[in-house]
Amino acid sequence: MSLLSSLRSTVSSLLRRERVESDTDEELRAHVQNRADDLLRLGLDRAEAERRARIEFGGHEKFKEECHEALGTRFLYALLQDLRFGLRMLRKSPSFTTVAILTLALGIGVNTATFSLLNGLVLRNLPVPHAEQLVRFGAHDPGDDYAALSLPMFQEFSRSQKVFSGTFAWWGDIVLNVETEGTLSRADVWTVDGNFYPELGAWPQIGRLFSSEEENLSAAAASQVAVVSYGFWQSHYGGAPDVIGKMLKIEGIPFTIIGVTRNRFTGMSATLEMEISLPLPATHLLGGQPDLQKYLKRRDARWLEVAGRLKPGVTLEQARAQLDSLWPGIREEMAPPDKTSAELGSFHELQLKVESGAKGGSLLRHRFEKPLYTVLAISALVLLVACVNLASLMLARAASRSHELSVRVALGAGRVRLASQMLTESLALSAAGSIAGCVFAYWASRALAVFILRQIYIVPAELNLSPDWRILGFTASATIVTGVLFGLAPAWRATHEDANAALQQSARTLGGGTGRLGKGLIMVQVALSVVLLASAGLFVRSLEKLHAVDPGFHTRAALDVSLFPKPGGYKNLALVDYYRELTDRVSHLPGVVSAGMMHTRFGNVLEWTERARIAGTEAQGQEADFEMAMPGLFETAGISLLRGRSFNWQDDEHTPSVAIVSKNFAEKLFPEGDAIGQHIDVLTIRKWQNLQIIGVVSNASLYDIRKQPPPTVYLPATQYGDYMGWSHVLVQTTFPLATIAGPLRQTVESLGHEYVTSIKTVRQNIDRSLLQERVTAMLSGFFGALTLLLAAIGLYGLMAYTVAQRTREIGIRLALGAARLRVLKMILREALALVLAGVLMGLPGALAASRLIAHMLFGLSPNDPATLAFVTSALLVVGTLAAYLPARRAMKVDPMVALRWE
Amino acid sequence: MTSQAQILPGTLDLLILKAVSLGPLHGYGVLLRIEQISHGALLIEQGALYPALFRLVRQGLLKASWGTSDNNRRAKFYELTSTGRKRLRQEADGWNRLAAAIASALDTQPEEI
Repeated sequence: MSLLSSLRSTVSSLLRRERVESDTDEELRAHVQNRADDLLRLGLDRAEAERRARIEFGGHEKFKEECHEALGTRFLYALLQDLRFGLRMLRKSPSFTTVAILTLALGIGVNTATFSLLNGLVLRNLPVPHAEQLVRFGAHDPGDDYAALSLPMFQEFSRSQKVFSGTFAWWGDIVLNVETEGTLSRADVWTVDGNFYPELGAWPQIGRLFSSEEENLSAAAASQVAVVSYGFWQSHYGGAPDVIGKMLKIEGIPFTIIGVTRNRFTGMSATLEMEISLPLPATHLLGGQPDLQKYLKRRDARWLEVAGRLKPGVTLEQARAQLDSLWPGIREEMAPPDKTSAELGSFHELQLKVESGAKGGSLLRHRFEKPLYTVLAISALVLLVACVNLASLMLARAASRSHELSVRVALGAGRVRLASQMLTESLALSAAGSIAGCVFAYWASRALAVFILRQIYIVPAELNLSPDWRILGFTASATIVTGVLFGLAPAWRATHEDANAALQQSARTLGGGTGRLGKGLIMVQVALSVVLLASAGLFVRSLEKLHAVDPGFHTRAALDVSLFPKPGGYKNLALVDYYRELTDRVSHLPGVVSAGMMHTRFGNVLEWTERARIAGTEAQGQEADFEMAMPGLFETAGISLLRGRSFNWQDDEHTPSVAIVSKNFAEKLFPEGDAIGQHIDVLTIRKWQNLQIIGVVSNASLYDIRKQPPPTVYLPATQYGDYMGWSHVLVQTTFPLATIAGPLRQTVESLGHEYVTSIKTVRQNIDRSLLQERVTAMLSGFFGALTLLLAAIGLYGLMAYTVAQRTREIGIRLALGAARLRVLKMILREALALVLAGVLMGLPGALAASRLIAHMLFGLSPNDPATLAFVTSALLVVGTLAAYLPARRAMKVDPMVALRWE
Repeated sequence: MTSQAQILPGTLDLLILKAVSLGPLHGYGVLLRIEQISHGALLIEQGALYPALFRLVRQGLLKASWGTSDNNRRAKFYELTSTGRKRLRQEADGWNRLAAAIASALDTQPEEI
């Protein structure tokens, strides 16, 4: 018979199992009837004939089984039978089933959730056709990640390259004031060139995308049209179709909406929807440049981000090789001709960066890739602990089913059959757990993503967490591996069931119980918990240390007030006078101790660093953090002036350029001698030359509090008009944030030029900069607690079972005069011995694991003794608590009842 | 009635195929037919019959269909497929050769050696 028809018959008989069953029943019944008819003819009466016929025929069920074997469906039939039986057994012990499914749901859930985040952030390609063909390239300063090109550079690359089927460019991710339907809000604005949408395969949801006239780069003026994102359309226009043709204003400049992109179109970003997109020429309107062509033709201004789509068969390496070979020529050609060779130094150092653009850009990826992999490793450990825990619970259950199993063995059940019964049960459990886990993961991954994104972005951002084949595959394999892992121990035990044991009474009173295997499992569980808890403990302690760091400025009672100009708010405004007035008004508010303006903010993730050297020398220069400050800032921030004077309102564009430096900067550049009165040059910014040092202040880590305070240079914003707008007021206050927020907003509003976008305590901003440490500590701490809970459940289960098994023995001990307290101690000692053995097993693992995460720790050695001591004592305490209840039960055993038991 | 013979392993399928080759039969009919054509010498254990019938159906040697028996009872009738007919011929030839060989071996007299 052919394989195919055999398969067909198996499948069809399986599909029609119920019918086959009833067919068989009917056929066999007919047989018995026929036989009975014949017997009737031989002279027996009806009842007797039927009885004889049935006896002759024998056991109905046995035939059915043989018939299934004959039909080739026995294996599947057995599986279904196992499943049915397994589900019945699970229904019979609802508390075990609930604990098991919850454990698995959490175990598989945290893994799926973490993996979903990792998938969305690191693994997943952009949702555009053939994202794998996308390649980003751009020129960057050595040591700076930001890579971009000027438009002429981009056009030259596009003309000369042979590796891409198309290239496109964009500018943006700039948050600007936008007026829609009379309301003012801030939105993320981008500009894109004519190839952007076609190369990304984008289609409008409604309306149209930019035409080639609108994208004409040699036009005299830019077309004022805009495409908005689906999300923006929904949130600002309620999804109304008449949005097409409506006008919105960006920084007061009107644009007509011509189209809406589709939902989830994020361009070349992994997380940001492009809320408003404009044609590339419109960039000059936002940049405030009057002449479009002059703006676009700047040869050395790198402002465009660009990408290309690889031709079929061309690899990233080949593309990189060709672009690299073109770069020196293009760089030469684009060098500004009117500059001296010394001034061109940094331009000639520009390097080309070519990298895959398949996954889209994201600020988050760099920060969260490592933490997420670490969290995934920890959650895998949680699942492993859950497996071991369930294995020992299953084992205890299997031991209490020992009687049932040995009866089955005695009746001839195959060992394979018993093992597969156990595995079927564990797989059914893990499948149920994983379904519940997916629900949990769906919720948890979204909650976590929203939490992270809200901290990082002020504009709508989203991670694509929807299930794809990777997530499904991951969860499915986790489910199967889990089911097999925790089913193995009981299955193995089932194959060693002794048929005789069923018949021996003693086996039920003095049985080996879960025996060495069960104890071994608990030790393994404790050992794994040690590894997990030690890692979690290190992350939590690192975060504590980070919180305790003194960054050199006040973090409490200091508020950071972010200001944003109203549309056109800075037009014809004398900024120095304005900010002097603002600072004055704010510092006279009730509850305000002092106030001062700064350009960025404390805990800014994007550090501002430049190189500076003694004026007139050719030294390499000293790397230093830079910050623009206005009068009042140092007092407000709690950075103390050690020598010289502070900035005042008389330092403006007409007076000689001055600077204040940190103590360590002064010591680095002027090791012997006084820094005051000396002059420095900034290498990286040509205009900043010959700055006179007028003061020295205490050290502070302005941007990254993880670092020792770096040498820092402060410049007076009042001398640099470009750095005065879009600032922050730092406010030292004795009032809580909620009380002072209203008056602060009103004060800024009352001057009519700016508005407050957010008020945060400096502490909140610092916390924001520690987001990855916080997420890691929070998750691993949660997992640690989960692990402790599992350890408690596991140990409780084992000890409760042991006590139940040994009731008779304990009864005898008590009858012979053992003190009850001694029985309690005996059980506790046994439990603690297991925990200690597990801890000892786990410690080397914990030390090894802590080496792996050493680079993510702060202010701790990887084998921090305090953490290890805490972990050990936590497990011992949990172990004692878990063993206490069973031990108390043992103590209360009534000797008479125990002896009469059976 | 002659004393009943033990059925040799592997011959049950052959007997069923033969019985069915004489005309479509239901299960009980197969039992009776074998008893009849072996003149009561071969008695099939009832329990062994159905698994054998299912096996033969699964192997495609028999096909089964529901019909009505002589006494107006719904019954499943088995008949030979063409593969079954072929198999019956092969098995019968094989059996005959074997039986002849064994018979001739058993008939051997001392002087013939």
